[in-house]
Formats: sequence, structure tokens, C-alpha cells
Amino acid sequence: MVSVINTVDTSHEDMIHDAQMDYYGTRLATCSSDRSVKIFDVRNGGQILIADLRGHEGPVWQVAWAHPMYGNILASCSYDRKVIIWKEENGTWEKTYEYTGHDSSVNSVCWAPHDYGLILACGSSDGAISLLSYTGDGQWEVKKISNAHTIGCNAVSWAPAVVPGSLIEQPSGQKPNYIKRFASGGCDNLVKIWKEEDGQWKEEQKLEAHSDWVRDVAWAPSIGLPTSTIASCSQDGRVFIWTCDDASGNSWSPKLLHKFNDVVWHVSWSITANILAVSGGDNKVTLWKESVDGLWACISDVNKGQGGQQRYPKNPTAQLHRRDTEGFWETDEAGAEDDRSSIEIKFNVPFEIGVKITEEEYQEYGQALEKMLGDMLEETAKETQMRN
Amino acid sequence: MEELDAEPPLTVVPGADPSARQLCFAWGPAEVLVCETLFGSRGTGEGGPSSSRLFVVRRDQDIYIQTLRKLFNESHGIFIGLQRSEEELAGKSRKAQLVQVSKNYRSVIRACMEDMHQAAISTRDPALHSQYSTQVSILSAMELIWNLCEILFVEAAAAGPLLLRLLDWVRLHVCDVDNMVREVLSSENPSKHELFWNVVDIFVLQGRMDEARHLLSKEASANPTSVNMYKILDDLMKKMPVPSLGNTQTLTEMELKWQHWHEECQRYLQDGTFASNSHMESICKILLGDEDAILEKKELMTTWYHFLVTRLLYSHPTVKPMELRFYAQSSMDLFLGGESGPEPLDTILMAAFEFEMHQVIKECSIALSNWWFVAHLTDLLDHCKLLQSHNLYFGSNMREFLLLEYASGLFSHHSLWQLGVDYFDHCPEYGRVYLELHIERIPLNTEQKALKVLRICEQRQMHEQVRSICKIMAMKALRNNRLGSALSWSIRAKDAAFATLISDRFLKDYCERGCFSDLDLIDNLGPSMLLSDRLTFLGKYREFHRLYGEKRFSEAAKLLLMLMTAHIAPCSFWMTLLTDALPLLEQKEDDDVETMKVEMLRLALARNLARVIVKEGTLEGS
Repeated sequence: MVSVINTVDTSHEDMIHDAQMDYYGTRLATCSSDRSVKIFDVRNGGQILIADLRGHEGPVWQVAWAHPMYGNILASCSYDRKVIIWKEENGTWEKTYEYTGHDSSVNSVCWAPHDYGLILACGSSDGAISLLSYTGDGQWEVKKISNAHTIGCNAVSWAPAVVPGSLIEQPSGQKPNYIKRFASGGCDNLVKIWKEEDGQWKEEQKLEAHSDWVRDVAWAPSIGLPTSTIASCSQDGRVFIWTCDDASGNSWSPKLLHKFNDVVWHVSWSITANILAVSGGDNKVTLWKESVDGLWACISDVNKGQGGQQRYPKNPTAQLHRRDTEGFWETDEAGAEDDRSSIEIKFNVPFEIGVKITEEEYQEYGQALEKMLGDMLEETAKETQMRN
Repeated sequence: MEELDAEPPLTVVPGADPSARQLCFAWGPAEVLVCETLFGSRGTGEGGPSSSRLFVVRRDQDIYIQTLRKLFNESHGIFIGLQRSEEELAGKSRKAQLVQVSKNYRSVIRACMEDMHQAAISTRDPALHSQYSTQVSILSAMELIWNLCEILFVEAAAAGPLLLRLLDWVRLHVCDVDNMVREVLSSENPSKHELFWNVVDIFVLQGRMDEARHLLSKEASANPTSVNMYKILDDLMKKMPVPSLGNTQTLTEMELKWQHWHEECQRYLQDGTFASNSHMESICKILLGDEDAILEKKELMTTWYHFLVTRLLYSHPTVKPMELRFYAQSSMDLFLGGESGPEPLDTILMAAFEFEMHQVIKECSIALSNWWFVAHLTDLLDHCKLLQSHNLYFGSNMREFLLLEYASGLFSHHSLWQLGVDYFDHCPEYGRVYLELHIERIPLNTEQKALKVLRICEQRQMHEQVRSICKIMAMKALRNNRLGSALSWSIRAKDAAFATLISDRFLKDYCERGCFSDLDLIDNLGPSMLLSDRLTFLGKYREFHRLYGEKRFSEAAKLLLMLMTAHIAPCSFWMTLLTDALPLLEQKEDDDVETMKVEMLRLALARNLARVIVKEGTLEGS
């Protein structure tokens, strides 16, 4: 199937580091080494530059849109150690707050779930993570976690808001008791989970599996299951999927998605958390999906390349184009991940499906069958003997 | 890592520069952003050439094709009808009901095909023409597959009727024949037409005996010498036993008759009855099920599945469903003869003949460009209780999986999303949460749309989403200075903080302009006034003004007093309140003079207090 690709000419004068769609897919924010943040209106496949925001003094690494219930708000972070929060007021975009509390490049910003209020987490190369909370009237309160990661923090990602216990509708004005959590990844090769307790942020978990700097972490959106899932990627070329089954958040177990040949820089989840996008050093973005058995399969590659995206049908009758296969289908590999020696045996009975069994199983069954037949023949032989 | 059956497809994003860069990626709600970047360039001012372009990649564009709109809308109706249909009906009536649903789906596909065809022939744009024509052939293939699935799975035709259904199926889908037939029949002398025998052959191949005999009679009357031959052939064709739909004969009876008839044909052939007319001889051979004779007419049949059905008609008319797979495989091999490999359509049909339902669904998922077909077909098969009897790992979850994917795709469309809601409703496991995640992303461009979305959320007790949407609308209204709208949205969201904020704005406006905007709203707040203190104050204060306007001064005075003493008036407003009080003091009321005096005293005290407040306020420079 042909994908429709619209090009947006951002006119950035230097490398683009991040691009993010707003909540509804109507606006696009980009940031670049040219120190600017640009906002475009991209409705109906068009592009209209709405704002060119200047204020940073170094390359801008990331941008993040806040939830629309707070208005049109965008956060950006930069090499210049600053985090700037921009707001649209009366049709124009302006700087509404500037945070300069970090001693080094700020690498990542992420807005908390809207249920918690307007809170921004920022991770910096100075190893600290700051949390900026809007308290009203243009005021922001800052909480800092110093030495969150030694050498530096590269990524932050919030957990989806889930109220502990049953979700009963709270009477108006009363805020439910949310347990706020977020994950961070750093140059200490660790993924850490932070929890807010009595107004203070504490390190709840340390997830160790990577052997080099963790470049990105992404906490998957919740689809109502009691499990939590985090994806992390690292300089060591590995992407891990961490899952925690119990509500108390105590036991996290990693599963290796894949070992790539190069550094993996970014991981991100689709909005219903069923697809994970991985972008790495090898010029492409791969999309992954979990199969029923809990194994991950790559379902698509997005690659840069030279044109030629139109594929015309060969013959006029019944043209069916190839589409993504979904990992969902690959279920006959019942647990036999690396099993190269499985044989397919088809039984000729109605409504039967080919059942794959391993070499050993085949031997086992073969032997059992042999024995059974042997016994039967012996019995018949004995019988005939007795009769004669 | 799992292995897939096929290589994951590669989507190439056209990039102009050859230097090695990486791809930056971000998910949008319905699309994907990709741009070239260089991770790890942590320095400043890298310089050098860099691409300033960004790519917005969108898939599932079929939902935007206007002519497919009917397909989505009408099939939605059929789908909902099926979900709500009587489950208690058992046996034959249930089956008949399901077959009817299947036929309905097919007629929608055909209607869409017709529209698409019209669009194709009426457009002048060659690109559009090509696109529409492709769509027509895709829809045609879908209908072909669905029809076969209906015969084999939904209706589960048994031996006997099975052949008749397959014959219908073949006759319906090979259209070239009709043109040829019309040409021959409408000519001056049909039997002399060069395509005459082709048409007779095709009738025979499709088991259309009456029509074949009718044409042959023309040949007979034009060619007296072959009258005898014709009479015999005509007789054979008339007598050919066919399976009946009713219960008039058992299969065994039919087989017996057929055996006798077959032998009779054999005798005539061996006697050389038709030796002088190669056409008639070949027809006799076809009647005998001679594979080579049938294969000679390959061009007329055009497809291997036509060949399959013809073969069955003339060699195994009482074929059982389970036997189909063997004939299907050999038919395909014989017909294609190793010239070309099977196309995706062939693979799908073969899987159907082999009764590999899940294989059919899988292959269709791979081959088709959107989930419409597999989602609806699988849902129907699930209702036929066919998926559960299979030893699959996910049973009815496959149905849900496909429906979720289909419905998710609908959500990126500005109006089709409403159909998606119903599909999610019928996905018991994840439908609700998917709906919650998707419905929040619908752009609320107009108040009407917001209300529509809101109603959907309210009907399903999705309280979080209701609150969220109301807050978003309130914020929007506030930014556009529509205070009344903002206030009503925040009341609906039960957002006390926001309501306070907006009430403040109203009061501020009042101080500046001396009048209220949105009086209707404030007058009719009712119990929602209690949402926040400030809002209560606003409502009551307005009431005070109203009373004053209606010259009900004693009530107004009482209210004003209450406002001052109830501690809900904001400090900034005291001055205004006191100023408002002044004219009241000059009113003369005849009754309750004593009470008035007491009140006046109190008021005077309050004024002093107010003076102090104001003085303090000015000192602090506020």
C-alpha cells in the first residue's frame, strides 16, 4: 500500500533535533540547532508557519506539547541549559516562563499526565532532574532531584495516571489520590523510576540491564491492564521492554526486544501502546508489535532513500497490494523461539491446522507409537498362536 | 525476537541527500513524523548541508476516498444489526439469517463497485481513472472472495447444493462472457458468427444447458446435415442429471442416474457419432469430464477456479466440501501449468477451498490495504461460531483485534470516527479503553462537535473524558473572550478553580464597564452556583442588581447585606459593594423602619471597616 507523504519545509537553518505533533494532529512544533523553535499549522496536508520562537542560545534538543486543557503551551529544552515554556496568548506565541536552574545542557522534557496538573519534568547533563509545577498566576514551583543519574540524565518519561484502587468519581473540586511516577534514563546505564511521596520525589526502582548510556525511555500508555510497560534504549544497541505485573510496582522484568548494530537513540509508543517505534543509527525507524506469546516482531521499516515510492499494479484484474504483516499472526511458534529444528506435520482430518512440533517431540511420539503397535502385534500373534 | 512469514515491508521516505543521517521519528494521533537528523551531534553550529525538510507520513488513506464512503457507512449498519440480532434463533433459521447478512454485505460491495465504475468512466483525469479502476478490481476481488466464503463457511453448503452454488458463483464473476453472448445473439445469423461455438462452449462449461441447447438449435436449423447429431447431443444435454436443491432425490439416487448418463455419453462418443463435427465432439468430451478437452477451452474460462468448477460439474457433481481441496490444488496446477506462480488472490481462494479460514483471513490482511474486509468477514464468521471451533490460540480475540484495528483507522477521519465508536462498543475486552484513548484526540473545532463527542462520552459514563473535554472547551472559550461559554463549560466540567477564575473575570469586567455580559447565563445558574464561592457571589450579586432594577429595595438591601457579611465577597470588591449600598440608604421604605435603622447602623460600621481595608490596600500599593 502506498503511504501518502507530505513534505513540510521547515526552513530551519541547521539540523532538526525534534518534531512533535500536538494532541489533535493539527499543529507541529520543530526545534533545531539553529536555536529556534517553529510552530506550523498542518491541517489538510498544508503547512503554515504560525510562530518562529527565539530565546534559546544553543541547539534546542526537544519540544513537548502540554495537554490542550491548559491552553496552547509548548516546552523546549536546549544545550544552553535553559528550559523555556511558551504559551499562545491572544493569537501570539510568547515566552511565559524560563527556567535556568541547570548547570549543563537540558536533554529532555516531558509533560506529566494532565490529571496531575501542569507539571514538566526536565532531565539534564548535570545529572539532575527538575520538576516545574504551575501554581497559578504565572508562577511555577520547582522541585529538583540532584544527582538523579551520575554524569547525566538523557531522558524522562511519565507513567500514565492511574488512581490506586477503584476509580470512583470524586466529588467536584476534590483531587483523587494519584501516585505520581516517572522513569528516567541516564549516563550511568540505568533506568530509574521515581515516585512522589509526601511531596518529595524518591527513587523507587533501579532497572539495570544496559551496558552503556541509556539514551531514551518511554512509558507505555495504559490500556487498562494491571501491567506497566517501559521501553528503554541505549548506546549499547539494545532495546529492552520492562514489565511490572503487580500494582505496587516492585518487580520489573526486562525482555530484550532486539540487539541492533548501532546506537539506538529513540523509542516511542503509539497512542494505544500497541506499536513501538525504534529509531537508531542505521538510517531507519523500525516498528515493533507484541505477539500473543509475548514475543516482539518487527512489522515495518521506515527508511530514507531515493524516491520511487509509487508501485503500479501489474495486471488489471484483482490487484491486491501487500500490506504489513502483523506479529499477531505468528503464533504457531508456541514458545519455540530459537527452534530451528521444528518440523511441520499436517494431518488429513477436517478442520485441522498444521501443528508444528520439535524434533525431540517427534522422536518421542514416534517411539511411543512404535511401542504401541509392537504391543498390539505381539498380542495378535499370541492370540493366533493360542488358537492354533 | 519473533520471525514473521514475510519480510516487514519497507516504507521509503524520499530523501535527497546521500550523506549518512538518522531518522527522527514521532507519533502523531493519526500520522507519523519523520525527519532527517544526526543524533549525537551535541555541539553547536555543526554547519554543513542539512535537510530542513520534515515528512508527515499517513497510511490508511482509503477512508478518504469519497466513493468508499458508502461502503463504510452501510456496512456499519449491517454490522450493528448483526450484533443486535437474535442469538436465540437456532439451527436453520439462524443460518438463514446469517446468510442474509452475508448477502447484504456483498450487495454493499457491489453497489460501491458500481459507483466506483461510474466514477472511473466519467472522469477525464487519467490518474484518477487509473485509481478508480484499480479500486473496482479490488472490490470485485473482495466480493469474489466473500461470496466463496459465504458458500463454504456461512451457508456451509453440503454435497449436492454445493456444486450448484459454485456454479452460480462462477457464472456471476466471469463477465466477459456476457459481451460475447450479446454480440452473437444480436447478429443476423448467429450460427455463422465466428464466436458462435465459443459461446456454446462457454454455456456448456458453465453448465447453462438450456441456453446452450437454444443456440445449438439455431445451428441445427441452419445446417440440416447435422440434424441427427444435434438431436442426440441435445438429448444428452437435456437429460444430464444435476443435484437438486430440494429433497426430491438423495445423493445416491443422483449418483446412480449420473453414472448411467455418463455411460450413455461414453457410448455415443466411442461410436463416432460426433466424429464429423469437431465442435460437437469436443462438447461431448466436455460432458464426459475429459480434462484435456476442458483445458483446451482455457481462454474461455480465464481462471483456474472456473476450470475447477467445470471439472467438478462433469466428473464429480456430488463433490463433498472436504474433497474440494484436492480438486482445487490439482485444478490450479493443471490450469497454470507452471507458467506463472499463484497471485495473492489465488492463494486466498485456495485457502478457502482448503477450509483454512484463518489462512484466508491472514492472506487477506496481507494483501488488502485496509482492515474493512477482514474485520467484517471475521466478525460474521465469529457469529457463525466458526472461529471458536478452531483450535486457535486467540479464538474470538482475533475478531476483536481486527475490529479494533479497523475502528482505530476510522478515528483519523473527521466524520467517520462516529462509526468507529460503535465498533469499539462491540469489543468487550479493549473496546472501551481504545475508545477513551481515541476520542480524546478528536479535534473539537466547533461547539457542536464538542457536544457530540461529549454526548458519546456521557452515554458511556466516561467521566474522565467528559471532564477533560469540558475543560478544554472552557479554556478555548476563555482565550477567545467568550466568558459566558467558558463559564458554562467549566460548570459542566465541575471545575471549581476555573469557575472561580471566570467569575473573577466577569466581576472585573463589571467593575470596568459597569454592566454584566451574558446575563441569561448568570441569571439561570441555579444550584450549579454552588460550584465555587466566587461563582456564588457572582450569581447573588447579579440577583442583587436585578432586585434593585425591579425596585424591590428591601430585598435588595437584605441581599447586599448578606453578601457583605457572608465572607464570600472578594476583598477587591468591597468598595464596589459599598458604593452600591449608598443609594439604598437613601431609599425610604414605610414598613420595617426599625429594622432599617439597625441595618443602617450595621452598614455604617461596615463602611468604616471598608475604609480601613481600602486604606490598608492603598498603603500596600495594590
